[in-house]
Amino acid sequence: MNIIQSTLYLVQKEFVLEFRQKYAISGILLYVLSTVFIVYLSIVNVRLPVWSALYWIIILFASINAVVKSFVQENSDRALYYYTLAHPNAILFSKIIYNFLLLLVLTFLTFGAFSLVAGQPVKEIQLFFITISLGSLGFAIALTFISAIAGKANNGATLMAILGFPVIIPILITLVKLTATALRLIQDTSNWKDITTLLAIDGIMIALAVILFPYLWRD
Amino acid sequence: MKHWWKILSVMILLYVMTIGLMAPLSPGITSVTPITAKTGGQISVDVTGYNSNYTKSKEIIRAWLYLDTLHAVCSDAIKVIDDTHLEIAFTIPNDLPVKGERASANLLINTDKDGTSLNPAAISISRNSVNNSEIKADWISCSIDNLFVNEQYDYPFRNILGETIRNLYFHVPMWFGMIFILLASVIYSVKYLAKSNPINDIKAQSYAAIGLIYGVMGLVTGGIWAEYTWGSFWSNDVKQLTSVASLLIYLAYFVLRSSFEDTDKKARISAVYNVFAFAALVPLLFVIPRLFASLHPGNGGNPGFGGEDLDNTMRTVFYPAVIGWTLLGFWMGQLLYRYGNIRRKMYDDF
Repeated sequence: MNIIQSTLYLVQKEFVLEFRQKYAISGILLYVLSTVFIVYLSIVNVRLPVWSALYWIIILFASINAVVKSFVQENSDRALYYYTLAHPNAILFSKIIYNFLLLLVLTFLTFGAFSLVAGQPVKEIQLFFITISLGSLGFAIALTFISAIAGKANNGATLMAILGFPVIIPILITLVKLTATALRLIQDTSNWKDITTLLAIDGIMIALAVILFPYLWRD
Repeated sequence: MKHWWKILSVMILLYVMTIGLMAPLSPGITSVTPITAKTGGQISVDVTGYNSNYTKSKEIIRAWLYLDTLHAVCSDAIKVIDDTHLEIAFTIPNDLPVKGERASANLLINTDKDGTSLNPAAISISRNSVNNSEIKADWISCSIDNLFVNEQYDYPFRNILGETIRNLYFHVPMWFGMIFILLASVIYSVKYLAKSNPINDIKAQSYAAIGLIYGVMGLVTGGIWAEYTWGSFWSNDVKQLTSVASLLIYLAYFVLRSSFEDTDKKARISAVYNVFAFAALVPLLFVIPRLFASLHPGNGGNPGFGGEDLDNTMRTVFYPAVIGWTLLGFWMGQLLYRYGNIRRKMYDDF
């Protein structure tokens, strides 16, 4: 079985597991909805810069909670069994793809819920959708790999946040800037440059993840 | 001589400290009063100089007010009060050769002793609605030429920077040094992954620690410099923010290390994180600051720290300073590595 085939099977497996257990995805969705509701309760009138800041804070914490289970909360014996069946990189790819799709749902759902309670201030909706899709991709790559690192330590969940935040910051800064443009908080003509920067960071990270993962999974 | 580079780093840093701090700034102009004038009038300008030697000049002191290279007026009379004070009389022509109600004129003083000193945008000239018929002068009456050149070894005088321009030899080399040292740390991490030799892991860890110290020193020296030039220690400049983020990456590296008990696993996982984190560090320090407006030179449309600011006399200290601080960092890293290696041999703990 080649690497693409096994990746697809593994993604399929992730979805099957998810639909059987359901607690993970429903937990994340409930997390997002309750955070949005708390935001609505505490800040009734959300101004534009605050909208952007709150949106990304909710996404950041929700995605760390969503991704943490991919390696940190996985049974290590079962993981070892996967590694005997498939190439380690196929496992990494499947987790990244699964997390990407999960975060994509998460970002769009948060956007919907947030718009409902705090108003929908996005003026350039196309740019905003590109931004949050690229954001999901970047977060999925960086956080999946960080969760693989954190999963090796004893206090994985705490370590996940400590290791994850600084690595995500370059992606996050660019995303916040693009969001500000989409909200027309700033006038900017260099959107394509920012998008290219994001793609380049994602590219570097995925390349390094592929190179480094074989050193990581073995215990 | 195995230790030549350590001696070299000490020699270079002694040179940087003495020459960089002792050599004077070139003569400059700190203040000019009044700062406003009207067209078609005569004004008397009080000039306060810095490091200047007006009384020692052999009566060849010339001064110009100029708008650009084609529009200048000469001084009518110059009275020397003392070494740092001049009183200059100018006649401002009736007309402004630019559009708009006002234009800022630069003040240029040239003496045979001090060379040229310049105060950019010294006097703001506004249009007078009434023309003064007694004024005969016009803006092209006097060209700026035959300037005396100052041959002294000194650093350029810049109005906001003043004496703090010397911080260039300390603040900027910290970042250069940090990048080189962290690069060494990543190389040793890669070496560890290739061949599981614990020595490489101790080296990677030691250099990461020194890189972190250099980063903190870079922030502190930058903050002190900003206190005097930008007005506050911290101003949320994009480079300040990204450098704090890059320090967080390396703090996380040490937290990660401390969370393992098995030394082999600790070395392997932290080497993987070190390489991955360096990939996040590079866009953070070199790409992201370019996307934002910044107070730093060379960013957000500000002119780079080059050209007239980093002139040839400054280069004679700045480049050695970069080499000296980097070598010193490697020396410190090596000491830390040797200490770690001794601990490993004695207690099997590092």
